[in-house]
Amino acid sequence: MAKAGRKLSLAAWAWVLVAGLAAFELLAHPVIRSAIPDEESWKEAAAFVRAQFEPDDRIIAAPAWTDPIVRRELGDLTPLRVAALTDPAGIGRLWELGIRGASTRDEAPALERAFGGVRVRMWRLASPKVLYDFVEQIKEARVELETEGGPVACPWAHGRPAPGGLERGPMRPAERFICDRERPWLWVGPTVLADLELQPRRCIWQHPAGMNPLRTIFADVPLGERLVVRGGVDYQIARERAHAPVTLRVWIDDQLAAEWTHQDGDGWSGLDIDTSNRGGTRATVRFETTTPDPFARLFCFAASTQTEASP
Amino acid sequence: MMDARRLTGRDHVIGAALCLGYLALLFSTAGDLAMSRDESFYAHAAKNIAGWLSELLSDPASALQEDHIDRAWRYNWEHPAWMKLTFAWSWLAQKHFGLFPRDSLAIRFPGMLTAGLLLWLIYGWGASVMARRGALFASLAFATMPRVFYHSHLDCFDVPIAFFVTLTAYAYWRALADRRWIPLLGLAFGLALSTKHNSWMLPAIFMIHFVWLRADQARAGSERRTSLIWLASMLTIGPLVFIGTWPWLWHDTWSRIGAYVSFHLRHVHYTYQFMGVSYFEPPMPMSVPFVMTSFTVSLAVLALAVAGIFACRGELRPPWRFRHGDSTTRRTELLWLGCLVAPLLAIALPSSPIFGGTKHWLTAYPFLALFAGWGLLAVTERAELGLWMGRRWPGRAFAILCLLPGVIQTGHSHPFGLSHYMPIAGGVPGAADRGMNRQFWGFTTGSLTDWLVERLPEGGSVWLCDTTAGAWAMLQADGVVPRNIRAARAINDADFALVHHERHFAEVEYQIWAAYGTPQPVHVLLYDGVPIISVYENPARRERESAR
Repeated sequence: MAKAGRKLSLAAWAWVLVAGLAAFELLAHPVIRSAIPDEESWKEAAAFVRAQFEPDDRIIAAPAWTDPIVRRELGDLTPLRVAALTDPAGIGRLWELGIRGASTRDEAPALERAFGGVRVRMWRLASPKVLYDFVEQIKEARVELETEGGPVACPWAHGRPAPGGLERGPMRPAERFICDRERPWLWVGPTVLADLELQPRRCIWQHPAGMNPLRTIFADVPLGERLVVRGGVDYQIARERAHAPVTLRVWIDDQLAAEWTHQDGDGWSGLDIDTSNRGGTRATVRFETTTPDPFARLFCFAASTQTEASP
Repeated sequence: MMDARRLTGRDHVIGAALCLGYLALLFSTAGDLAMSRDESFYAHAAKNIAGWLSELLSDPASALQEDHIDRAWRYNWEHPAWMKLTFAWSWLAQKHFGLFPRDSLAIRFPGMLTAGLLLWLIYGWGASVMARRGALFASLAFATMPRVFYHSHLDCFDVPIAFFVTLTAYAYWRALADRRWIPLLGLAFGLALSTKHNSWMLPAIFMIHFVWLRADQARAGSERRTSLIWLASMLTIGPLVFIGTWPWLWHDTWSRIGAYVSFHLRHVHYTYQFMGVSYFEPPMPMSVPFVMTSFTVSLAVLALAVAGIFACRGELRPPWRFRHGDSTTRRTELLWLGCLVAPLLAIALPSSPIFGGTKHWLTAYPFLALFAGWGLLAVTERAELGLWMGRRWPGRAFAILCLLPGVIQTGHSHPFGLSHYMPIAGGVPGAADRGMNRQFWGFTTGSLTDWLVERLPEGGSVWLCDTTAGAWAMLQADGVVPRNIRAARAINDADFALVHHERHFAEVEYQIWAAYGTPQPVHVLLYDGVPIISVYENPARRERESAR
């Protein structure tokens, strides 16, 4: 009898447990749905940010998966340079539109407002000032490929853009410096790279041709306290960690200022070149890429001259 | 669980009602789903095969020539023929008799039919060994798994192979006691082989079960030993059906079989996001099939399945616990457990290629549902609800309560079946927080067609991202989008470009940013507040429109 009684008790508990799980699923469904912010909340939050927006502001989303919604509302205030940030310089204020209690920063914001389920928070940032953004100025540059017979100019020309698609690498734009039409990857121009973490990076595509340098030369560049260089290889290739390193040399007025070697697996990385002894002057800056083996070296870099923001 | 009960006409009426009811439901909801990538490939293959079948009927001598066979069957050679043949016959019926309101429905019908038949089979097998209400619950529990409901619509092989695996297991189980089922077992296994390679594991499951059974009988001193003749049927009729239904193998047979096997053993890895990590190559975490099952199947059904397994633990005892003179059974519980666990373990193995979605272990779910049916009976009977409440209705109310989450979630999942997650995962937004796979196959474009048609009243072009040109052509053939809205080959050539939000498709989104010079989508298709597709407008189109 005692055994039978225990069985009955166990079955009754199982019944309660299963009924409880079913009840949980039935009740949780409307609770989950009611916590989803409606379109009106997103629009009100966006209108609030838009009304106070300043040119050096950056707008981000929390959690990250809501980013398309935030860009739909405020993407016109987010140039590619900011959406595909290469380093945090030049950002004065950070606006965050967040839901579900998610946040990108731990510190207390300077401003916080809620619009339905959408929370707007703003932080003031003390980031360096950008004097010259090489990616933005790429059209003004001169590109040449060193060959056995000497340097050959790569003209800025209209070519066939890439069709796009998965595993196709960064977009090859219609307008770019074209070095060799037989080697469609041998061009220089602005694009957006998916880095090893799949983050967007607005950068200059400069796939090295081999040990002969491919050069991009910018004249009359205002120098500040530092020249910041970041770069990486497209994630599809970089995650294989199987290909040759890429070397980027930075020349300032024909003097080698830095040499940086990027290995697959390094992710989006780079170096800061101290130019404080030349701050306030102008110079010609040259970026050269080389590699021992040019196979699949989908290299892209960004650079800017920067100075500390005035208080 | 009883060893076996003879099914009555009433059982088949219930089974047929389940089948037809589900078919009607699938028919009425299929129009909301654009064809997925794989469906479009199989539709293309089916049309090729339909052409060959027509030739076979009109000029058999020509059709059977090697080059004619190869021309028709080369495309999609990596998948066997049976379901593609059924898609082709259905397509021919549509072409000649216009049986279906839409072309896509014609191609999808055979897949839907296997879903309906599977409900019948689950009910029938369940009713053979347990009370009808348990069997009915099992069938309905399977039907109302959101991912099952999605896959049941498709001209793919995942629900069909779940049907043929279950049918083969049922035929094997019947054949253990009734020799008339032995040739049917070979036929069922042949059709399973001819549907998808999930079937390869069946002989191993059956052998383990059979050895266990024979050990039982030996320990119990039973004079009657179950025969191994079933294996001969599987190993002779099965391959004959496999080769016989697949003309691609009629020439160069061994090398083509070798290529087929090799293709699946060295399968390309699909990128799959799980718990915030995009996996490009093995090993995936071993927890994937178990976590994904718990995130996509109702907790109540899962708990009942566990209760069902627990309730029949005595029948799962090892042979050495048998004593001389014990009565032996067909060990139905053990067979079900093998069929439930094997597909999950196969995917969990670190050496398995990355396949991704729940569809790859869908063959486990009929058995999960059967255990849930058994669990329902065990819990209600042993808790003595009827006695406790003095009425029969509490037991029925409990069954309905346990089915309701699946019913509600399935209704809510449509037409975003692969994006759907159960409340235990936090629903769709909770799964997004956890970094779970959002979708695959590009079928969600079907939820965007009204928007696109409204924006392009005079036609135009769309870059379709993960949606294939074939799937788009089927939307056009179905009359969902007009033919003057074309699938663009390049982002720069399109009026609108789509991004299906899967983490690794970020690359494509950045291509569009670079091409269009803006990170701002003009539209975001949301499901429970979670982005499914972003739509970008080509600035060239915007300029054209503003110049008007």
